[in-house]
Amino acid sequence: MSSDERTGLYVESTIIMTTVRLVAPFVLTFALFVMFHGANSPGGGFQGGVIAGSVVMMLAFAYGIDAAREWLDVRVVAALASGGVLTFAAIGLGTIVLGGNFLEYHLYEQFISHVVAYAIELVELAIGGIVASVAIGLFFLLAAGFGHAVDSPEGES
Amino acid sequence: MSLSLIEAVLLVFVLGCAIGAAVLRDVLASLMAFAAYSLGVSIIWVMLEAPDVGLTEAAVGAGIMTILFILALANTVRPQANGLFESISVRTVVLVGAFVVVMIATVPSLPAVGADGAANPVVSGEVTQYYLENAYADTEVKNGVTAVLAAYRGFDTLGEAVVVFSAGVAALTVLRQEVFA
Repeated sequence: MSSDERTGLYVESTIIMTTVRLVAPFVLTFALFVMFHGANSPGGGFQGGVIAGSVVMMLAFAYGIDAAREWLDVRVVAALASGGVLTFAAIGLGTIVLGGNFLEYHLYEQFISHVVAYAIELVELAIGGIVASVAIGLFFLLAAGFGHAVDSPEGES
Repeated sequence: MSLSLIEAVLLVFVLGCAIGAAVLRDVLASLMAFAAYSLGVSIIWVMLEAPDVGLTEAAVGAGIMTILFILALANTVRPQANGLFESISVRTVVLVGAFVVVMIATVPSLPAVGADGAANPVVSGEVTQYYLENAYADTEVKNGVTAVLAAYRGFDTLGEAVVVFSAGVAALTVLRQEVFA
């Protein structure tokens, strides 16, 4: 698909841009609330991550997908995804190093008090990071279309 | 089993949306019906006192899925719709009807909604009771779902998170991209 066809998807609208600019901070706050408060109320990393990812999608719809793609640093997306998996795995495996079972949070108690609640919070944040970055990534990948995947010759990869 | 008015309206709405998603000829209209279906189901989850599932359904089913579907649709050729509804083959109706009958046949063996004690093996089960009694002392979180998700079944959840991660990596690999975005 040619690039001018794709930019045809985007229609600049003052109403949408203003609305998104107003709503986006609240949606991001809500996403963080769902992630952080998931321990004591409905929610958690999976739901909060999706809501956080949807903030970027809202911005992309308002300001154009290509503009959003340039604004967003790809390294942040990659760091969130892989960092999330590594954090979760590190918390889980750390307890094995301390001589316990996988994710036996209580073993961290010797370093920090009430560590169980904090560790669960950290796990939720890690999950949120993974989900948000993968949702954003899939969004941009789909938006870019499959043109270049088909264009590139078979043997190139 | 008695239904309140709002439950009955929601069920009819969800059923209508599901049928609409299946039979509408225009793909975009079908997508909209599917999103409305997800939203209806998420409200039903909340009414059944499963807010965690409801939140997930609303965010993923009605939100992200719809956006990704629309994007995919925008990148493909949308066929011109002739007529409002898809032509329905008898074979499909028989097959889907048989599936629905089989699913409905399992419903009577489920415990009644809100049933307590011995009438509901899910609630009175040993594992559930253990979680309810020990979750706060063990994990210091008040949401039992989170306690199970992040602590008791933490290994499963790590697997789930890795599945999401792999989905992103798989999409990158299939589309031969090196970076997201």
